[in-house]
Amino acid sequence: MTAHIEIKDVVKRFGAATVIDHLSLSIDPNEFMVFLGPSGCGKSTLLRMIAGLESVDEGTISINGQRIDNLPPGQRDIAMVFQSYALYPHMTVADNMAFGLRNIGVAADVISARVAEAGRMLEIGHLLERKPGQLSGGQRQRVAIGRAIVKEPKAFLFDEPLSNLDAALRVRTRVELAQLRHRVKSTMIFVTHDQIEAMTLADRIVVMNNRKIEQIGTPMEIYSRPATRFVATFVGSPTMNFVPVRVAGGETGGATVTLGDGTQVKTAIPAMKLDPGNFTLGIRAEAVRVVADGQGVTTGTVDVLERLGERTLVYTKLKDGSVIVAEDIGYSRVAVNDTVSLSIDGSRVHLFDTSDRAWHCEEGING
Amino acid sequence: MSNVRSTSIMGREFGDRVVLALVIIFALIMLAPVLWVIGLSLKANAELMADTNSVFRTPYTVMNYFNILANSSVFRWILNSLIVSTGLTIGTLVLCSLAGYGFARLNFPGRDILFVVVLLGLAVPEQAVLIARHQIFGILKLHNTYQGLILPGLSAPFGVFLMTQYFRAIPKELDEAALLDNASRFKIFWKVLLPLTVPAQATLGIFTFLWSWNDYFWPLISGTKNTMFTLTVGMASTQTNFAQSEGLGFLMAQAIFAGAPILVLYLFFQKYIVTAVSGAAVR
Repeated sequence: MTAHIEIKDVVKRFGAATVIDHLSLSIDPNEFMVFLGPSGCGKSTLLRMIAGLESVDEGTISINGQRIDNLPPGQRDIAMVFQSYALYPHMTVADNMAFGLRNIGVAADVISARVAEAGRMLEIGHLLERKPGQLSGGQRQRVAIGRAIVKEPKAFLFDEPLSNLDAALRVRTRVELAQLRHRVKSTMIFVTHDQIEAMTLADRIVVMNNRKIEQIGTPMEIYSRPATRFVATFVGSPTMNFVPVRVAGGETGGATVTLGDGTQVKTAIPAMKLDPGNFTLGIRAEAVRVVADGQGVTTGTVDVLERLGERTLVYTKLKDGSVIVAEDIGYSRVAVNDTVSLSIDGSRVHLFDTSDRAWHCEEGING
Repeated sequence: MSNVRSTSIMGREFGDRVVLALVIIFALIMLAPVLWVIGLSLKANAELMADTNSVFRTPYTVMNYFNILANSSVFRWILNSLIVSTGLTIGTLVLCSLAGYGFARLNFPGRDILFVVVLLGLAVPEQAVLIARHQIFGILKLHNTYQGLILPGLSAPFGVFLMTQYFRAIPKELDEAALLDNASRFKIFWKVLLPLTVPAQATLGIFTFLWSWNDYFWPLISGTKNTMFTLTVGMASTQTNFAQSEGLGFLMAQAIFAGAPILVLYLFFQKYIVTAVSGAAVR
């Protein structure tokens, strides 16, 4: 059982404030869709509108062609995992999972079987008689997921379910969620502000900002072809470098951009698509490498070093004062205050015009 | 270093001993009147008439307690107090829980104003409405009935406030999870939220019961027949002579008898009473 969710032109207002502004979105059956965005962008509100916990002021939400935005939450055939887990503290784990099934009159033996199966799948079978207060954060998380699974819903909604876990447990639970989605064939919507969760779990990501969708795409599309400067900033760690540049125009093939320090970089972005003028060059750290002296396109002074083990991030100040984060090998010999030579991979850069529209290599305009 | 540590431990032990000694002294001071009452109840009335200091001398007797069983209406009064206190406690818990849930979770026009109006009830002294209430109850023929003794106490603004605050402190995600679990509003109240308010219910229940058990003012006015006396009114009615000079032992035995249920209540619910008194219940 799975769901094709269609959101059409929905609007949500809280008093005078509009928190979702004419948003449309289609989520395919069995798809793992992640709503990604900063706090207050409206992603949780959108999820709660799908769940029925917030009303829809305008527009419609449908599942498999049937309009559901006018149905109460319990009749939408969806399950939700809350950020705080929202387990019933006075009930045992088994009762927590069985509560929803009892409310719709499922036979006791069916309930027992489903609870046992969920317990086995999530490895919480030995905890069924305990109460939530006796469980660790990770175990509570599993119970919350188990409570959703036993309902065998058409769609699962996850509202930042990993944000209350510590770093190590978060990574482990993330992997388990990825495994779970292959075992439980169902449409899943996952809300997070953590780009790593989004990148690792999603079939497609909806990047939201300021009440609107900035971009919808696969994780690699979002990463490598950000539609706007916001997406480029929000996705990826470290954040994409942004350097003011000038495009002269009059070229054929890839455009050549001039950095503030006079350095010229030949890009693979089609020049004929660009009007001459000022742009912002976007380069991810992995496209800027520390190279042997004289072999780069520009030089800079090392400001800060971040050694991450397998690679080193080199914060470099260019002659015009702008800072670029470059990448070097894990055992980098570079030291702070060294002057280093930097190469820029022109096939992996992006240009943003003054209206924040993005221009990429090969296919030209995106967004 | 070890010297410093041992000195510190010694210092702490000395401090602990001083605190313990003070606690014992204060406990004895608090206990003295109770011990005095117990002592008096175990003495013959005639002996106490001659000298109350006879409490420190033998002989002791349990005749006063036998006299309660044989001659007094105290059992009837205890029964009345039990019925009134239990009825009032149950009624208060039911009404305050429903009101608290309503104020905390339901959106209806005028909710906040109504809540303030309920809280204003805390500022109205019982004496201010006494005559009007007496007349109304007289017209409704509710005097000398259990309803007459119970009904006035059911308007409990403090209870409504306490339960409202407690319901508000319960995360709304629980309601939402239950909504997604297809639970009706009543089921959410009954199966999900109400069980979580047990500490507040216990606090409110104990305070209501104790207040009702010790209440004297309204039962004195409404329950005028001997058979409808509550314990407090009944005991006061036995004081027939100046300063109880002729039946002090009997009176004290009655006091012990009357206080026993409350003592049992304290022993069983002391955890909740301490929580309630420390103000930590609504968290």
